[in-house]
This record gives sequence, C-alpha cells and structure tokens, in this order.
Amino acid sequence: MYLSGPQPYASFLNESNDASAGPVVYLGQDYPLEFQHMVHAHWRGFRAPPIYYKAGIYIAFCVLMCLNLFGNGLVLWIFSTSKSLRTPSNLLILNLAIFDLFMCTNMPHYLLNGALGYIVGGELGCDIYALNGGISGMGAAITNAFIAFDRYKTISNPIDGRLSYGQIIMCIIFTWLWATPFSVLPLFQIWGRYQPEGFLTTCTFDYLTNTDDNRLFVRTIFVWSYAIPMVMILCSYYKLFSHVRSHERMLAAQAQKMNVKSLAANANTDSMSVELRIAKAALIIYMLFVLAWTPYSVVALIGCFGEQQLITPFISMLPMLACKSVSCLDPWVYATSHPKYRLELERRLPWLGIREKQHTSSSGGGGGESIASVSGDTLAMSVQN
Amino acid sequence: MVVSVKVFKKATPNGKVTFYLGRRDFIDHLDYCDPVDGVIVVEPDYLKNRKVFGQLATTYRYGREEDEVMGVKFSKELILSREQIVPMTNTNMEMTPVQEKLVRKLGSNAHPFTFHFPPNSPSSVTLQQEGDDMGKPLGVEYTIRAYVADSEDDRQHKRSQVSLVIKKLQYAPLNRGQRLPSSLVSKGFTFSNGKISLEVTLDREIYYHGEKVAATVQVSNNSKKSVKSIKCFIVQHTEITMVNAQFSKHVAQLETKEGCPITPGANLTKTFYLIPLAANNKDRHGIALDGHLKDEDCNLASSTMVQEGKSTGDACGIVISYSVRIKLNCGTLGGEMQTDVPFKLLQPAPGTIEKKRSNAMKKMKSIEQHRNVKGYYQDDDDNIVFEDFAKMRMNNVNMAD
Repeated sequence: MYLSGPQPYASFLNESNDASAGPVVYLGQDYPLEFQHMVHAHWRGFRAPPIYYKAGIYIAFCVLMCLNLFGNGLVLWIFSTSKSLRTPSNLLILNLAIFDLFMCTNMPHYLLNGALGYIVGGELGCDIYALNGGISGMGAAITNAFIAFDRYKTISNPIDGRLSYGQIIMCIIFTWLWATPFSVLPLFQIWGRYQPEGFLTTCTFDYLTNTDDNRLFVRTIFVWSYAIPMVMILCSYYKLFSHVRSHERMLAAQAQKMNVKSLAANANTDSMSVELRIAKAALIIYMLFVLAWTPYSVVALIGCFGEQQLITPFISMLPMLACKSVSCLDPWVYATSHPKYRLELERRLPWLGIREKQHTSSSGGGGGESIASVSGDTLAMSVQN
Repeated sequence: MVVSVKVFKKATPNGKVTFYLGRRDFIDHLDYCDPVDGVIVVEPDYLKNRKVFGQLATTYRYGREEDEVMGVKFSKELILSREQIVPMTNTNMEMTPVQEKLVRKLGSNAHPFTFHFPPNSPSSVTLQQEGDDMGKPLGVEYTIRAYVADSEDDRQHKRSQVSLVIKKLQYAPLNRGQRLPSSLVSKGFTFSNGKISLEVTLDREIYYHGEKVAATVQVSNNSKKSVKSIKCFIVQHTEITMVNAQFSKHVAQLETKEGCPITPGANLTKTFYLIPLAANNKDRHGIALDGHLKDEDCNLASSTMVQEGKSTGDACGIVISYSVRIKLNCGTLGGEMQTDVPFKLLQPAPGTIEKKRSNAMKKMKSIEQHRNVKGYYQDDDDNIVFEDFAKMRMNNVNMAD
C-alpha cells in the first residue's frame, strides 16, 4: 500500500539526526496545546514524518474508503433486496458487510485528521475513532469465524445441517456482544485506554504503557480478538476440508458399485477437484484474516513486551492500513465468490461486466427447469399398427 | 386394428435432433430392469460427419442449491452408460416393439437406441421442499441425453443437446405375501410390579399407495399404572446414502383417548386405520416422494426393495422404509412405551386387479382435474396435441432467431 519502502527505522531515531536538515521537528511538537497531554511519550522521540509519507497514507485511505463504500454498499443493497439470496447463512455475510461499513465511518474522520495533523474532537474524537475501530474490527473477526462455522455445518450436513434463522440471529447478536467488552472497557478507562498512535492522527488502544495492568489488557485483547477467532476459523475449515475429502471418497465408492467411473459435480465439469477448490477458498479466507490482524497483533505485542523503539510512527500506521484494506476485500472474497450474488449483479448492474456461466438454466443436469420444459414437450402421437 | 400408443417427444433447442420415448417410467423388477428404449430422429443433412451420442445419467442432489458455497456442489452426476447412437455402432441390437413401430412410422432418419440401468442403481426419489423453494429438487433423478459432437467428450453445443428426465421405479411383487407383520413389547415399571404388554399386528405386509393401513393394537395391562392415551403414526424412514444421513418423518398420525384410560387389569383391542398420503403432507420439508415429473402424479416414495440375498445397506441413493409406530402414554410417571412394525408401501404391479382399480380411480381424478384445465393434457385427442407441438416448434424457431 505504501508508495515507497519504509526507511530504516534508525533514520527516525533522534540519535541519528543529520545536522544539515535544518531545525528538527519532533512528532507531537506541532500538536495543538490543548491535546498535548494525549500524546504518549514514546512518540515524542521520533521526528515528524515527511510529508510524502503522510500524503501516501492519505491517498491510500481515500482509495480504501471508496472501495469499501462501493463493495460493502453493493453487498448490503443486493443481499437485502434479492429474494434468491435470502438464506440464513447470507445474514452473516450481511453482518460482515455492516461491520465493514461501520469501520468505514472512521475514514472521513481520518481524512480530516490527516489534513489537519491532529485528532479532531480531542479526547472525545479519539475515543469515538478507537471505539468504532474496535467494535468493527473485533466484530468482523468473530463474524469471519461464524461464517466458517456455518459453512462447516452446511457442507457437512447439507440436508438439514444448516443453521436456522433463529440460530443465525443468535450468532449475529453474539458477534456484537463479543465486540463490546474490549471496546467499551478502554472507553471508560476501566481497563486500558484509547490514545493517538502513529502519526498521531489515528487512535487505538494503548499498547505502549508498561504497567502490569495494561500488559494484561493487551494480552487479553490479543487472545480475544485474534487467537480465538483464528482458532475457530482454522478448526472449521480444517473439518470442512476433511469432511469433503471423505465424502468424495464415499461417493466414488458408491459409484463403483454401479460400475460408474465418471463422477462429475455438474454437467460442465471443472478441471479442479472439489478438494482443491475448497482448500483454495479456505486458504484465501484464512490468509485474509491473517493479513488483517497479524500486523496489529505484532505491533501491539512488541509495544507491550518487546523493543518499543521498533515501533516507529510509520510502522504503527501499517496495521491500520491492513485491517482497513481487508474490510474492502471482504465483500469480494465472501460475496463475489457467491454464484447467486454474481448472477444478481450481472442482472442488475450489467455495466460491471460480470459474466456468470449460465450452467443453472440450460445444462442437461435435469432439474426444475428441465422438468418444466419436459412436461411442456410431452405429447401423444398415435402410431397405426 | 388401430392401437393408440402414447409417445414422449423432445427436441433440441435448434429442432434438429428429436427424442422419441415410449414411456418415461422404467421398472426395476429386482432381477432385471426395463431398458430405456427409444428412437432418435435427426434431420437429414444436419450432421455432416458429426455424430450423435447418448447418455443415461443419474443426478444425486443432496443439498439446496442456494446453500452451495466455496465451490462445493451438492450434486453429483453419474453417467451410467454412454453410447454413440448415430451412426449406430451396436449392430446386433434387437429393437423392442415400440422402437419397431417408431422406426417404421418415422422413417429412415430414425435411429433406435437402448440404455441399460446398471445393477444397484437406485430408484428415482424426490425430497419435498418447503413451499417457496424454487431450487432444483433434492433426490435421485435420471436423465437421458443426446448431443451432437465430433467426439464423445465434446459437449459444448447447448443448442444441439436434448435431455429428458425419466423415472426408475419399483413395483410391488405380484404376490403380496401371507405374513402379517406384528410386534410385541412389554414394559415394566421401576417402582411397581407388573407389566403392560402391547401387541400390534398389521393386516398386510405390502400396501399399495392410497390403501388404508389397518393396525390392530392389543393392550393388556397387568401393571398398577393405567394407559392414558394411544398415539398411532405412520413413519417414513429416509436414508440418504449420499451423505450418510437418515431421518424419520411422520406421514400420518392419530391420537385417541377412546377406550382409555386402560385401568390396571383391563385389556383393549382396537384397530386403527391410517392412510399415508402425499396429499396430506404438502409443503413439509424432507418428505420423500416417488420421483415426480409433474405435480399431479406424486405419491409418497415407495419402499426400497433389494434383491434377495442383499441387504439394504448395499443400496445406493435414497433408501425408503415405512413402519407403523404405536405409542402408549402411561401417565407422567409411567412414561411412554412404543413399538414399530415395519411394512412396505409400493406401487401395484401392472396387470394386477388392484392396479386396474387404482388406475381407474386415477383416471377419474385426472378427468375431473382436466375438466377445469384446458391444454394438451387431453391425451386422447391427437389433433390438439399436434397443434401444440407445431406451436412449440415455432417458438423454438423464434428463440433461435
């Protein structure tokens, strides 16, 4: 996402100023006086980032905001208005889009902050920013986990295994409850607190203060919002994969009983085997999760337990970018891989140029379509003997 | 002598290749199975060195289409047999009477073909969906298909492809059997002596669709509890071997307190009559029906029969069985006691008297239905049918344009 590679962190350290660069401006120096107390001492040790770093991230945010609004807005619109997409499982995808859009509410705020160089709204603004980020981030993570679980349930027992509307709604309520505690506790400074980070234009929970209390907080939030959803996702997709594999074998054995060798999933067979397709899809989703949340976890853990000097303002901006960009990718990974959604998109927005193969209607696989047409074709003719 | 034969016909979208089939229901007689016999008519000069291939395929669908995610398809198509139909490779094929008639009638462009169902192939079964579900039906389905191509694996051209859904069914054996299925259970109680015994006997082993199932229940109460009520169910057991799942659904039920409570020392003999009917289970999810092509001819799925010496465990596809379940309610403390008596529910084999009777009833029903519905269902009127056919061809031509 960044335009130029990060400079070696040493160049940001105050020890390595080169004298020729004129008066040294440290980060936080030009912060408004009334907000000065919000800046953590850690950041004051770094020079103010050069303008092209700020501009690069600023532009990246602009692009991400557009992508996010477009992708998730489309998901929200299509999934909530088309009948063919009204299934319990799709409610989870809707929920994810809502969380992602929720994350997007921060972006205009950031664009304002980035332009002005400080957090608009002071402490209140900082709290709102971090609260939005916390709820949407943790909510999206746990929603990912529930989507994985629901897919496992559906695929392992396609006849009646899928979660019902009631269960899915319980899951959705649970995702919101899951996102609440660790975003509300720092808000009221009961446990942890929110503070500006990076270029001091974004806010998140405090991972720099070295008290036992705060370290425990960082550790807990790490387990809560990263480790647990990650384990759930891994387990679900692993079980799903092994189920599909054994199921394929079972069907092949059954086909053997009838002396059938060809076992096609559909009339127009893909060259890829089902297992491979599943593995690929699961891996993409898993990598997406890793991409979204590992940078944050690493930065937070380093800030709390490791070499704090490693966390330069620029480095600490990257996790922000990572999870914001994943909120833009979510709709493409979850929704766009949905065949019915693609069909619906093709129908409603032909200018998007999506061409879904029409295997549902015209293939010879038989089914509703062909039953209807077959009964139309049925006719009697008499043969004279 | 003029014999009227009903023939099913379907053409490719471009109208060049046409299927003619004498029937769409093929019967599995356990020891052998009716072959799929038909004729294909190809318009002269259309092929130009290309060939016509035919396939008999079965499609398993074991999950809703709308639930398919991550590239998983809840359906499998098994191609049971394939053959080159034009030019004919199987030179020593014997034509069935229907084929002979058709070939004679349709002339030199008609090419007969025959497909055989492999042993162990399952019967056509459809699992009923809830009312507004518009996806493909769940179950086992058979399709015959013909396509024009250069080689067998080349199936690119939708416009020169035609497929027709057919059914594979099992009929009841001619002899319904003399054995009367029955079951006897007794139940004791933890804190009191004596037992309640329950014996259930059915009046037949094999029932035809639409017949009354009579279950004679004998309760003799030698315990200190009393029986509060009797429930009687007909249970359809569905085993879906494709996903290793099974479930049971009540397709008919009755609860009575007549003759109850059966006090300690008392006896009761009572006969319950239940009719398991698809019509009474409309829109219930997961009820298994005999593979149906039109809405009107659907009945509950027939019991799966297997060849002697084989167990139902070997069966493929969807395995159906039925039982009568009687439940006695012995009060809150006594709990419930229940027993299941298995029976078979089948189509009568053609030729049996019962078949004639049920056909007559069906015909009456369909005449009634068709009095209201105009259209080409009027099987006996050839002219109208042919008109419809011509119109369809025109539609096809329009679509092609």
